[in-house]
Amino acid sequence: MTTLHNTSTHARPIPNPKKSLITKLNMGTGIIVGVIFAFAAYYAFQPNADTAGFYNQQNKALLAAMLFWSVGFLIGIGAFIGPFRWLIGKDLTAEEQLYLAGDGQGIKRYFKYCTDHKVVGIQYLVGVMAMLAVGGGMAMMIRTSLAVPGGHFIGASVYNSLVGMHGITMIVAMIIVATGPFGNYIMPIMIGARDMAFPRLNALSWWVLFTAIPVLCSAWFLGGIPTGWTAYAPLSVQAGPGMNAFVATILIFAVSTAVAGMNITSTVVAMRAKGMKWNRVPIFVVGATMSVALAIPAFPTFMLAMVQTATDRVFNTGFYDANVGGSGWLYAHLFWIMGHPEVYVILLPGIAILMEIAPVFVRKPLFSYNAAIMGFAGIAGLSVLVWAHHMYISGWTPTLNGPFMVTTEMISVPTGLLFLVMLGTIWRGKPWMKLPMLGLFAVIWNLLIGGITGIYLSDVPADNYLHGSMFVTAHFHYTLMGAALTGAVAGLAYWFPKMTGRMLNEPAGYTAFWFTQIGFQVLFLGMFIAGAEGQPRRVVSFAAMYKYSNMISTGGAYLVGIGFIILLWAVIHSWRKGDIAPQNPWGAKTLEWTVPYPVPLENFDEAPIITSDPYGYGKGN
Amino acid sequence: MSNHDEELTPTPGQRAINLFRRTDVQRALLFTILWTAVFVILGLYFYPKWMPEVMSRDMKAMERIIVGFTVISAPIAGLVMGIATQAITNRHKGDTPPPDGPAIRTNGPVVMVWTVVSGIFCLIAVVWGIAELNSMALEATAGSKEALHVQVIGSQWVWSFKYTDLGVESDKLMLPINRPVEFEVTSEDVNHSFWPLQLGVKVDANRLQTTVADTVPTKLGPIDVKCAELCGLYHAYMETSGKVMTTTDFNNWVTSNGGHVA
Repeated sequence: MTTLHNTSTHARPIPNPKKSLITKLNMGTGIIVGVIFAFAAYYAFQPNADTAGFYNQQNKALLAAMLFWSVGFLIGIGAFIGPFRWLIGKDLTAEEQLYLAGDGQGIKRYFKYCTDHKVVGIQYLVGVMAMLAVGGGMAMMIRTSLAVPGGHFIGASVYNSLVGMHGITMIVAMIIVATGPFGNYIMPIMIGARDMAFPRLNALSWWVLFTAIPVLCSAWFLGGIPTGWTAYAPLSVQAGPGMNAFVATILIFAVSTAVAGMNITSTVVAMRAKGMKWNRVPIFVVGATMSVALAIPAFPTFMLAMVQTATDRVFNTGFYDANVGGSGWLYAHLFWIMGHPEVYVILLPGIAILMEIAPVFVRKPLFSYNAAIMGFAGIAGLSVLVWAHHMYISGWTPTLNGPFMVTTEMISVPTGLLFLVMLGTIWRGKPWMKLPMLGLFAVIWNLLIGGITGIYLSDVPADNYLHGSMFVTAHFHYTLMGAALTGAVAGLAYWFPKMTGRMLNEPAGYTAFWFTQIGFQVLFLGMFIAGAEGQPRRVVSFAAMYKYSNMISTGGAYLVGIGFIILLWAVIHSWRKGDIAPQNPWGAKTLEWTVPYPVPLENFDEAPIITSDPYGYGKGN
Repeated sequence: MSNHDEELTPTPGQRAINLFRRTDVQRALLFTILWTAVFVILGLYFYPKWMPEVMSRDMKAMERIIVGFTVISAPIAGLVMGIATQAITNRHKGDTPPPDGPAIRTNGPVVMVWTVVSGIFCLIAVVWGIAELNSMALEATAGSKEALHVQVIGSQWVWSFKYTDLGVESDKLMLPINRPVEFEVTSEDVNHSFWPLQLGVKVDANRLQTTVADTVPTKLGPIDVKCAELCGLYHAYMETSGKVMTTTDFNNWVTSNGGHVA
């Protein structure tokens, strides 16, 4: 399927289908209808005389309210107008479709059900930054509390909730941190498409995700999430009403990722520009697509795990209750069958961004495009076969520890290929040390440390000691924060001129970079030491023997915090008042740099025709 | 910075010599050696320094693996950092892009060697891990007849230990030296994870399930017992202590607590 036409998109009258319902709906109407639905559900599911007395009545009403809020919001913002019209045999008119795309509506379109992929990209970017800020704030509270032994700052209940809320907020934010903003805004332009394959689903993926945010925040007012982000059963079944917020968040989020994953995958498969064969697709597009495609089979198991948690909590179904024949191991399996692929769902786009950046800033072709593809594919393939390495010490079938150790350690080979591609690209080049390129060097170090410590953890005898300790926490922060988040921030610095029309403030950017990266090393070096010394993770209080390592960690955390505040300031300030960016400030060869800012509604006036890959840098090319 | 005429040189030997004459290669090698040294020191010196005292067979195996893996992976990590550091020393400053570099799209032999070498390292890690697992399993089987059975019960938020063969119950983990011990671990409520730090073993406590961990304490001294699985409000405080004692002391402890020595 190709939708490319050589027609001009300029000089079109601004659509104004005044009589259409879609012009009256926006985020505000969504919130109103959503809240009405939530209250209606809450009162409809209240205990009555027949069922009163069961402990789970409150869970039922709360869960129903949260899920109905989401549905109500989507109805209120007009998400179902298109499908409904289609159902009765009348699709939206061309004028209405243009209206939905936000044509000529300025800033208002960011608060509407807008199908333009660039609007959705910005919505994701702002949403992700807000989530990272909240999650980061909670991390600062955790580290402040752990500055000295004894846990005097925060009580155990609040602390456990902070750990759970920080975890799930960051995981959700990190899953969408690259594929949300850049996968939506940049990727369609990169492949020469006029929009995503399913623009309405694109808007749906964002607004569904949006409805999960207040649900998650409601946990604070319902007693928190005391289970960590892993939400192991039977602890989750025992937990108070705040747990409903966790369950509902995951149910909603799983729908959003399924819709987004399907849409991005379809777009890349079906809507590439003429001549863009598979071996000419920019590497970021490959990495992002593999990431979302990996999420498609992974997330349903998490959703199922949460459905069963919900029914255990509401109806006493006992899926995870050993007293009635259930098993907590069932939960652990369902969770980690999602959980480990999810780590690579987060990591791959971050690395792919850096591979996109490296050739531009060393003016050399990407080294071994094929090795990069094999690296991504190898990781994605193996990642679905390794989940039980999280369960070595669970006691579940120890005889299978050996096989899972083998599959886990095999991941080091495709990961090695990713390193080879990055190193091969910078080798014999003169790296132009702009902000995006600094990110590449930081990630080489961080991913190296994350990778090597991952090999220890994959080994069963070593994991017998390290599992559940601060060492694990430090390890996965090196991969998720040190590699994936740094990659995404490098992507923001790289594509900021295209997404905002302005340059990111360089002095502030450099300052933020050094604060975050130096602070990061100090923070997690301290945490590695604490873990090696034997401090369990998720503890509000620790013994005096871990005093120094924790003090170091907290010091590092403050540096990271300062760095991110500076970065946030730089982004906001540059977005408003930064220097106007030229069309192609880095001299890159991918298609997004061939379009002006603001990017026209349908991206290209003339459909691009691709004759080579975008890495034709270097002498002799 | 360096001359690239070596690509025209005919013989492989001469090409290799020319390669090592290039300043960028020499610099990358130097950085590789320095970084390798850093990682080796980290493995040999710092890791053992941070770990608690080695008081059992399993703790020894764990330490051996972590130190060994660090040292073995040091040359690869050193090479990665060596190339990256060399690139940084060769950086381009200014507001315009750097001059074009050589258009190297791939290098078959390099990709092959890299893949094979990382495969070999992966294989070493796998074989080593499996061999350790196997020897632990064999030792556990060999020692199971004379093993001391300790039932470990986790409940929110205390550990208790039942020495079923000896008729003793305690909230402290007391063990005799050099006698195999088998922990039979269970939970009365949610998941816990039994972690006697200095013994290097860990296994989850699950409701209505018995999971097993075994080891041989090899050194006298105190033990810290912790819970390594978030188990609710006072998870952080679910800890106790214990001791590895001489056989005589252990027997005395058993009898003084109302038990009988087998």
